[in-house]
Amino acid sequence: MSRRPPRGEYIETDTGNKVARKATLVGTQNIMLGGKTVIMPEAMIRGDLVRTLQPSPSSSGAPPNNTAVAIGRYCFLSRGCCLRPPGRLYKGLFTYMPLRLGDHVFVGPGSVVQAATVGNYVHIGAKVAIGEFAIIKDYVRILDDTVVPPNMVIPSFSIVAGQPARVIGEVPEGGHEAFELRELYKTVGNNPQPAPV
Amino acid sequence: MAPPFTPYTFIQCPCSDSSTFNRRSPPSTPTTHHFHSDNDDNDDDDDEHPFDPRAPRSNYSLFPLEYLLYCEDCHQIRCPRCVAEEIVTYYCPSCLFEVPSSNLKSEGNRCTRSCFQCPVCIGPLSVTSLESHPDPNLIPAPDNTSAAPHGGPYILICSHCAWSSTEVGIQFDKPNSIHAQLAKLRNGGNPRMTAKERKERRKDLAQSLGSSYSAASGSGYPSHFADELDLDLDLETQFSNLKLFYQSQLANANPGGGASGGSASGSGGAFGDLGFTSPTSLSRILNIYTSTSSQDKKAKSRIGTMREALDRDEGLKIANLDESEAIAKLHAEDHAGTVSTSQLLNQTPQLHLGEPHLHGRSRFASELRPIPYLLRTKRSKRCPICRHIISKPEAKVLTTRFRIRLVAGSYIPSITIRPLSLPNASTPDPSALRPSKPAQFVLTFKNPIFEPVKITLATPALTPGRFPSKVTVLCPQFDIDANTDVWDEALKDGDKRRKKGESMDSATGGNNGGQHQHQPAAGKIWERGRNWVSIVVEVVPASLRKPMPVVLKEDEDLLEIPMFVRIEWETDAMGDEVGAVLGKDRDLPKLKRELAYWCVLGLGRVSDQ
Repeated sequence: MSRRPPRGEYIETDTGNKVARKATLVGTQNIMLGGKTVIMPEAMIRGDLVRTLQPSPSSSGAPPNNTAVAIGRYCFLSRGCCLRPPGRLYKGLFTYMPLRLGDHVFVGPGSVVQAATVGNYVHIGAKVAIGEFAIIKDYVRILDDTVVPPNMVIPSFSIVAGQPARVIGEVPEGGHEAFELRELYKTVGNNPQPAPV
Repeated sequence: MAPPFTPYTFIQCPCSDSSTFNRRSPPSTPTTHHFHSDNDDNDDDDDEHPFDPRAPRSNYSLFPLEYLLYCEDCHQIRCPRCVAEEIVTYYCPSCLFEVPSSNLKSEGNRCTRSCFQCPVCIGPLSVTSLESHPDPNLIPAPDNTSAAPHGGPYILICSHCAWSSTEVGIQFDKPNSIHAQLAKLRNGGNPRMTAKERKERRKDLAQSLGSSYSAASGSGYPSHFADELDLDLDLETQFSNLKLFYQSQLANANPGGGASGGSASGSGGAFGDLGFTSPTSLSRILNIYTSTSSQDKKAKSRIGTMREALDRDEGLKIANLDESEAIAKLHAEDHAGTVSTSQLLNQTPQLHLGEPHLHGRSRFASELRPIPYLLRTKRSKRCPICRHIISKPEAKVLTTRFRIRLVAGSYIPSITIRPLSLPNASTPDPSALRPSKPAQFVLTFKNPIFEPVKITLATPALTPGRFPSKVTVLCPQFDIDANTDVWDEALKDGDKRRKKGESMDSATGGNNGGQHQHQPAAGKIWERGRNWVSIVVEVVPASLRKPMPVVLKEDEDLLEIPMFVRIEWETDAMGDEVGAVLGKDRDLPKLKRELAYWCVLGLGRVSDQ
């Protein structure tokens, strides 16, 4: 963080997203960014893994929803992490399902996220693997090197660690503010500001 | 290698000191208390007792700031150990369904839907159809195949370790309400009676046996009943049989008392069932313990009328001492077929499930059962002294809001520590503390409240313990500006200059010129911002080999500084008087408040060179 990146390392969008030029975004038309999201170099988002089956043909008027990865505001995707939509057999056919990230989600370096839903204010540590169709609710802290098994549901205010993951503690009442990523957002980009005291 | 050390600040909750705990007003100074005196050897005569972070008791009173709450009525810090918790909601952590507390009594503290954990790796189990590709040659199922494409038997499968319930021979007919289905299944697929069925069955048996019992003239049950019963005599049945038997024995032993005991058991609670409410049975029990000689012939003879269970219906179960089967199985299955201690501990208490107890039996993986998820709670917290609620979450499971959340972090300043790295100093690794080499740390105090606060710090000159390090707080007294609103920040330049001028005049001193060039000096603030102040602490770590090399105890190389923090601020008397809101512009009498507490600064580990 202390290293000042060379100028123009990030593409800054109108909605405040800071996307590193060295990030690997596949299928960008299927990736929705909520704004103020930081995508560090070497991060990967697999937007190409879009669902092959539409949920119901009844809503014929609406255009098909092709979002593969939806990301909320103030998310932070660290170096070398990967967001990958989960896939499974549905009615005998294999299809991917969208991956949704809420607001203020931190994904640590080297982590792979294949969750169905990640809530708001979630901190995912470094080298974490989140299995397919896991559901992570709000205010969850996943410690480094955790392996969250597929289909696991992690309730709000959990601290999770281990292989396989288990809830090892509860986020204390005073720890909610630590999930805020507004300040972290300001510290990266083309003209980063020093972290406040 | 150990992970890099991150400095920490732990704050002591006043509940650990009984002299200050019951006081509503904050303590002005730490007072000597006799139970603390054993923690301290060198300055017993001193009034000001330094807090020893190494004392065994300290483990239970030190908390990071995030874990602490604050009672607005007592004006005191409250920790997780001293608050009184009340359960707001019970819910399953897997399906996130709320469980009413009435269900809890009848159905236990586990999820009774379809949420299970793997008995091998505790990962979540998911329900899958055993026949993922239905054979087209088979006759199509009569149900709607589009709605349920996978018919047939269902199993629980762990997606982490690939354990499946087929390994213990369990399959389900329906994909929902697995808990109820599992309660009727033994490992291996044999049916198991539920408690209700067992009760009905006993009633039936008693009726049918009423005639056959006399016909068989006390020789036991007819053989076909015996076989069935042997299978069903699991722990739960055995216990209920035994209970029934001894109740009847008590009633028979003293018919006079038995009647009253019987009526008491009808109306009374759990003890009533055992006949404890009956005075005769009580005196009988007491007699067992008191009478060594035959003082009370009558009571003695009464005991003699009790007999033990004789058959299965009375709860007798002959212990199976023949373990050759288990040994043979162990030979066949090897170590991999046995369960580990943690797996065994994760199993639900077998009494609840009514399974054969694992105790005293071979412990094989084939006897593991899926673990229903333990319910989780949302809890509100009360101040232990004034009983006011200081934290209350919304009752709904899916909301994360709090109705009340009085956290200490919004009342007392946060303290962050970082090693001081001067541009001209060439310290290769500032986090490594070298013996007898002065090291400087920057402590940053951030004020969360909307009034300016005055902070006074005190540390012992030498840290407690066998290896006392020298500690000097360069600026032990300073003011921090109020935590103004964000839009005030725009005006901060002029405001701050004015404030700084004030603080320059005051005795605390201030320094705002050349923030990055200056040297740490005594009595000077290192850096200052809108609502924060940084000061410098200098430590001279002790040599761990002085006077001679010794064996270090755990964490003795850790440099921890006990620090007494005293905060003073003035507040409008708004919180106490309702009408005070109107007089905002007028000069209200300002209420002076203070809060004082011990905290511990963990600075780093002293290297052993």
